[in-house]
Amino acid sequence: PSDTRDAAQARVRRAPAPVTDVARLCVCDLLVAQCDVNCCCDPDCSAEDFSLFTTCSVPVVTGDSQLCSQKAAVYSLDVEANPPERIFKLIDQVNPSIFCIHATNYEQALYLKSPEIPTPENFDQFIDKYGGATFSAEPDSWNLDTDAQNPPDANETSRYEYGLPVQTEDAFLRLPSPVVSSWCSDANPAGFLVNQATKCIRAVSVEKCDSIQALSMLFYINSSILAVPKSSQMVNITVQSIVVQSLDGMRTLLSSSDVLRLPMVLDELCINAVLGVNYHITHTDTGEIIEAAAAFVLGAISKETLSIEQSFEISFTQENTQPVPLSGNPGYVVGLPVRAGFQPQGYPFPAAFLSNKHSQLTILHSTSTQDCLAAQGARAPVLFGYNMISGCKLRITAAMKCQPLAQTLLDVLKGQSFPEYVASFGNSQVQDVLDWVPITQLLISEQMISHTLQSSCQIPVSLGIEVKWTKYGSLVNPQARIVNVTATITTTTLKQLRSGRERIIPVMSSVVFTDISSPAEPSYKAWPTIDIKLPFDFFYPFV
Amino acid sequence: LSSLPLQILLYVNGVYYIFYFLATLAMIIYKSQVFSYPDDLLAPDLTVLFLMAILEVPRSYLGFKGNLTEAEGPLGLSLGLTVGSVVLCVYLLLWQTYVLWADVLLNAVLLAGYGLESGLKVTAIAAFVS
Repeated sequence: PSDTRDAAQARVRRAPAPVTDVARLCVCDLLVAQCDVNCCCDPDCSAEDFSLFTTCSVPVVTGDSQLCSQKAAVYSLDVEANPPERIFKLIDQVNPSIFCIHATNYEQALYLKSPEIPTPENFDQFIDKYGGATFSAEPDSWNLDTDAQNPPDANETSRYEYGLPVQTEDAFLRLPSPVVSSWCSDANPAGFLVNQATKCIRAVSVEKCDSIQALSMLFYINSSILAVPKSSQMVNITVQSIVVQSLDGMRTLLSSSDVLRLPMVLDELCINAVLGVNYHITHTDTGEIIEAAAAFVLGAISKETLSIEQSFEISFTQENTQPVPLSGNPGYVVGLPVRAGFQPQGYPFPAAFLSNKHSQLTILHSTSTQDCLAAQGARAPVLFGYNMISGCKLRITAAMKCQPLAQTLLDVLKGQSFPEYVASFGNSQVQDVLDWVPITQLLISEQMISHTLQSSCQIPVSLGIEVKWTKYGSLVNPQARIVNVTATITTTTLKQLRSGRERIIPVMSSVVFTDISSPAEPSYKAWPTIDIKLPFDFFYPFV
Repeated sequence: LSSLPLQILLYVNGVYYIFYFLATLAMIIYKSQVFSYPDDLLAPDLTVLFLMAILEVPRSYLGFKGNLTEAEGPLGLSLGLTVGSVVLCVYLLLWQTYVLWADVLLNAVLLAGYGLESGLKVTAIAAFVS
C-alpha cells in the first residue's frame, strides 16, 4: 500500500515533459484523433484530407528566432499537383543578425519553465514564496490597511437614500403594482422618497376570502419598518384611518381605527377586504424613518366578483414641514395647478408670500344642478395650459336686493380667497418676491343698448382669467413661464323686475392660456472678414 | 634591441582592448534588457569582465616597460598575467550566460591578439636573456 502511494505521488509530481522537437510540434492540432481543417502539421490528417485543404494555417514551426541557427519545420501545400499534397520540409533557419544567440549556458532562457507541482512536502515553501500580497489575484486584498476600510462602509448604509427600498423586518415594504400585465405583483418594493400610486387587479373569490393574504389588513401592517437600513430600530405601521366602501361605492369613514378588521364571510359576501392602502411615511432630513401610517379602504366582495381592483399609494413627508407640491421645475408643466399666493399684510415691501393649499387659483366648478347659489364652494383648480370654461344659472326674483346679490355673485365667481399673486415659474419659492406676478383685476361694465344712465344695479356675470405665458430658456428645452395674469369681471345692469316675475341669467367663468412667446429668431455668426494689409514698406523705393 | 613588432602589437592590443571592453559591457547591458538575465548569472559575467580590465592595466604596462628597457623580468610577469587574461577571455567566449555571435567575434580576435603577443614576448625574452 505504501509503495503504491509513493508511486502515485511520483506520478503526480511530474508534469508532462515539454515537447521541443519542431517536427512534432503542432499548434493547430486542437481536435484529438480528428483532422483539423487547414492544419498541415496535424498527424491525424491523411493524404486525402490534405488534398482538400486550401492553405496551411501554420506555415512554419520554429523555436526561438533569436538563435543563430535552428531547426524549422516548414509546411506548405503544393496546389499545382493533382490532387494537392502537403509538403513537409525540415530546414535550418539562420538568423543573419550579429546579435543572434550563438550559445547559451542557461537552459531556462529559451523554454518555459515546467511548473512545480505542490506536494505536502514543499507546500509550506510555496506559501512562503507566493502567499504574500504581491501574488494575490484579487486587487482588494492588496490594501494592507484593512481596518481603515470598514468604517466608511458602515457610514454608507446607515441611512436611507433616494430610491433605496424601504426595508422591513422580513423583506421590503411591499407596494403591489402591475408588472407586465394588470395583475398585482407583491414583489414591488417601495423606494424611499419615491411617491408612487399604483392600481392593479387581484383575483379573488368569496370562498377563499380569509385565505388570500393580500385582502387582509394584517398583510400590509404586519412587519415593522426599519428606521435605518440594516439596523434593529423598528417603526410600527399604525392604522391612520379606515374607510369602508359599500357594494354600490359609497364610502364611510369609520370613527375608530384601532380595531383591526380582518376579512370574513358574512351573508355570502366577503367583507373587510382591502381595496386600497395609502401609506404615509414621515422621515427626518438625515434619511431616517420615524413614523409610518397606513390608511385603508375596506370593501365587500360579492359571490360573482372574480377580481377586484386594488389601489396603493405611498407618500413621504419630512418631519415638521408642510410639503408644497411643485407645478414644474422650473417651467410649468401642462396639467399641474397654477400656484398662487397672497402678500402678507403689514409689510411695507413684500418680503415673502403666503402660499398654501388654500390659496390656489380656482374657478367655479359647474355642478349638475347648475344653480349658482347652491353651488357655492364647488371650485376647480386652474391647471396650467388647460383652457376652462364653466358656468351656472342664476335665478333672480324681484325680492332680491342688488348689493347682496352682487356680493354673492362675486363670491361665486372668485371664490372665498382669490389670490393676489401667481407664481411665474412652477417652482417659485415664496421668498423670491420677484418670481411672482400680480394678478391685474379689470372691471368692465356692459352697458345696455338703451344707455340708461341712472345708477342701476351692476352685477358681475362673468369672470375671465387670461394667463399670458411665454417660452423661456433654451430653444431645445423651453420652459413655460407665466408673464401676466388678468382677471376681468364683466358686470351687467340688473333691471328691476316686476314683482312675482323671475329671470334666469347665465353666469360664466373662464380661463384662457395664451402663448405670447416671440418667435425664435435664428442668429448667425458674423461672416469672417479678410483683413489684409500690405507691409509697411512694401513700396519701399518709391514711398 | 627592443622588439619592434612586439611594441606595435602591444600598442594595438591596448587600443583594441578598450574597444573590446566597451563593446562587451554594452552587449551585456543589451542582453540583460532583451533576454531573461537573472541577477545570480549577471554578477559572475560582469565580475569576469571587470577583472580582466583590472588585469589588463599592469599587464600592458609591464609589457611596454619590459620591451623598452630590454628587461626580461617585467616581460615574464606580463606573460604570466597574459595567461590569466586568456583564461578569462575563454570564459567569456564559452561559459557566458548568452554568447552572441558578436561576442564570439570579439573574443576570438582578442584571443588571437593575446596568442600572437605571447609568442612575440617569448621570442623577446629569449633575445634579452641571451
